[in-house]
Amino acid sequence: MTLQECYAALEGDYQGVLGRLTSERMVQKFVLKFLNDSSFDLLVRSMEEENYQEAFRAAHTIKGVCQNLDFTRLYRSSCQLSEALRNGVTPEAPSLLEQVKADYAQTVAAIRAFQESVGA
Amino acid sequence: MERMTDKQKILIVDDSEMNRSILADMLGGEYEILEAENGIEGLAMLRKHAGEISLVLLDIVMPELDGFGMLTEMNRNHWIEDVPVIMISAERGSSHVERAFEMGITDFISRPFDALIVHRRVVNTILLYAKQKKLVALAAEQIYEKERRSSLMIDILSHIVEFRNGESGMHVRHVHTLTETLLTALMRKTDKYGLTSQDISVISTASALHDIGKIAIPEEILNKPGRFTDEEFAIMKTHSMIGAEMLEALPDDYRDEPLVKAAYQICRWHHERWDGRGYPDGLKGDEIPISAQIVALADVYDALTSERVYKPAFSHEKAIEMILKGECGTFNPLVMECLGGCADEILLELGSDTTQRQSQREMQSVARELHKHEELTASERTLELLEHERMKYSFFAAMSEEIQFEFTVQPPMVTLTAWGAEKLGLEEIIMDPASNGRVKELIGEDNWRGLSDALHGTTPGHPVVTFDCLLNYGGSPRWTRIVARATWSSDEPPRYTGAIGKAIDIHDSRLKLDNLERMATHDAMTGLLNHATAKKRVMERLADRPDGKFALVILDLDHFKQANDTYGHMCGDRVLIHLAGKLRQSIRGGDIAARVGGDEFLLFLEYGGELDPIVSRIYSSISGSMFEDFPICLSMGIAPTDVVGTDYDALFHAADQALYKVKRSGRGRYAFYDESMRDMLSVISPIEGSSDAGEESGGEKGESEP
Repeated sequence: MTLQECYAALEGDYQGVLGRLTSERMVQKFVLKFLNDSSFDLLVRSMEEENYQEAFRAAHTIKGVCQNLDFTRLYRSSCQLSEALRNGVTPEAPSLLEQVKADYAQTVAAIRAFQESVGA
Repeated sequence: MERMTDKQKILIVDDSEMNRSILADMLGGEYEILEAENGIEGLAMLRKHAGEISLVLLDIVMPELDGFGMLTEMNRNHWIEDVPVIMISAERGSSHVERAFEMGITDFISRPFDALIVHRRVVNTILLYAKQKKLVALAAEQIYEKERRSSLMIDILSHIVEFRNGESGMHVRHVHTLTETLLTALMRKTDKYGLTSQDISVISTASALHDIGKIAIPEEILNKPGRFTDEEFAIMKTHSMIGAEMLEALPDDYRDEPLVKAAYQICRWHHERWDGRGYPDGLKGDEIPISAQIVALADVYDALTSERVYKPAFSHEKAIEMILKGECGTFNPLVMECLGGCADEILLELGSDTTQRQSQREMQSVARELHKHEELTASERTLELLEHERMKYSFFAAMSEEIQFEFTVQPPMVTLTAWGAEKLGLEEIIMDPASNGRVKELIGEDNWRGLSDALHGTTPGHPVVTFDCLLNYGGSPRWTRIVARATWSSDEPPRYTGAIGKAIDIHDSRLKLDNLERMATHDAMTGLLNHATAKKRVMERLADRPDGKFALVILDLDHFKQANDTYGHMCGDRVLIHLAGKLRQSIRGGDIAARVGGDEFLLFLEYGGELDPIVSRIYSSISGSMFEDFPICLSMGIAPTDVVGTDYDALFHAADQALYKVKRSGRGRYAFYDESMRDMLSVISPIEGSSDAGEESGGEKGESEP
């Protein structure tokens, strides 16, 4: 799997990120690093504990990282979730969280597949 | 130790590690990157690396303290004036952007980051600030030079006047110092004259010119030994007006200078007096400007304490006394109070090395000048000094193997030396230490509060506290001495801003001390109190509870001498140790047991109801038992306070007499003291007994067989 194919699988904008981060090496480095980011775990945990302030920050961080890496699909759902949590919890937050979970799983699966193919 | 590098430092404050490393990568190897994951940590980094950080990249949404919170704090500390901040965030709301710019940020970059844009903006911003810093340094240099030159000119001018006057040149300096000291005291005392530290600086400098009018007085009069004729005095008196006129004749540009205005007042009116009996205008009270009032007093003081052709020098105390008594004309009562209040300070100030004071004053005025120009808060010169100090500090801190710390109230933070942090098992930087679990565990709530109260209770004049406490580290509590110096702001009134200090392990020496104390108060063989200490404790108890019911008991072992002779001293010692243990077991917590000497012991008991059952219980639990081959048999004499009173010596003597009575009537019993024993002999000091006469007729009342 190439990096470009990985981006296709996670529904991101490969050309966009390449333009901004200037080299494929750098894009690859941070895409792989995404697997170590703990914001998603923090988000899920905070939602379970009904700590919506912390959940907002976690969603906001995921959104920022996705934006920087052009993970368009996960960016979109995490952006919606963070807006839904900005001023405390709203009724649509739980369903948006499910969407983020699904998109996150899709993103991580794509990156894992890529990781295996480069043997990293 | 910190490595010195030439790379400029950039601080990235963002809660996402991913985002920080993307930014760090974008900036490449050109900069040294420092990272912080929230506003509080960001502030700590700024404080730790004050003056070193060339740029801050700041996120908005963060835990603990967000980007706006950090900006607020940077504004409060004026850091925002020296360190450019570029805000980075996905927040595109224009109100956010606007608010951030109002709070002093230099630029705003929105997500997603574009490597080229981030790089370009960072470079531009750093270049811009570097130029500005150079300009600031240049301006500071020039202000310093200007200040130095103008005080030099004033010095030369006033010295010319003095040398013509046959004086040493010290008069002007003394008047300067006195003026400054008195004005500062006056400012503290009252705001009646609206004095600022700026005014004090100007008036003190202008004071050097108070006698310039003397340049126009003929030398024969000026230096005449002996008294002036009326005519000569009239000429002499013109010097004040002449000085004022000289200043008034200056070109318009100068006349409006605060320095020249102050000098005019001082020249013209420094011989006026509060009661209107001075010259040249006969002004009264506060018609005389405060500058002239103060210089007049300074002038008189220095004239009194200097030797003149017509008089010897008076001592400092004599001069103050003469002025306060009104022997040198009348002065403003408020100013006189200041003089009385700062008499010691004056002596100290005038005594200190004048050249040193001179340069010190120059430094102060540069500082004041710098202060006037707020944008000059940190010139390159100060930063270099600061950097040097920091290097020195961290070197010595690393060498010293001491736990050193720094505490700031705002932001609430403790910084430890690397060695100290490792020793205590804490981080080097601890945010909000008061609510940090590990800090609490280490120092304990009571100690924390005690130390905090002690530091708050200091004053800027006496800021050092010494605080001994038990710290829990390395698995067990250790006695530790904390020596700390509170830091106070230079505001009026001063604010408590934190503390610096060190913690010294005094555990071993403290234990040694405890041990010594134990040795001094206890009997080495039995471990019971010694007689002297028991006496002290008994007297304390008696004084504490005058209404309590107590009994003092003296007891000894029957036939102990025989035991020593038969079984040897080693055995005798073991018997005594055994008995001491028994006694210790048989008394209650508040009671006292002591070894008086030899085989004599003392007990001090408090009782509520009947005394006899208590004594009986103690007696029978010990007497009659066996230790090894030696039968333990006791004789006891008891003196209750309700019979004898609460005087220790009387109680001791009475118990002793009761014991004597027991010994005389066959041992192996106990007896309570009663009046019939008054004249009996003593067991412990037999010569004290007056006669044998009453011995046999002593009543048996209160005595019981065990």
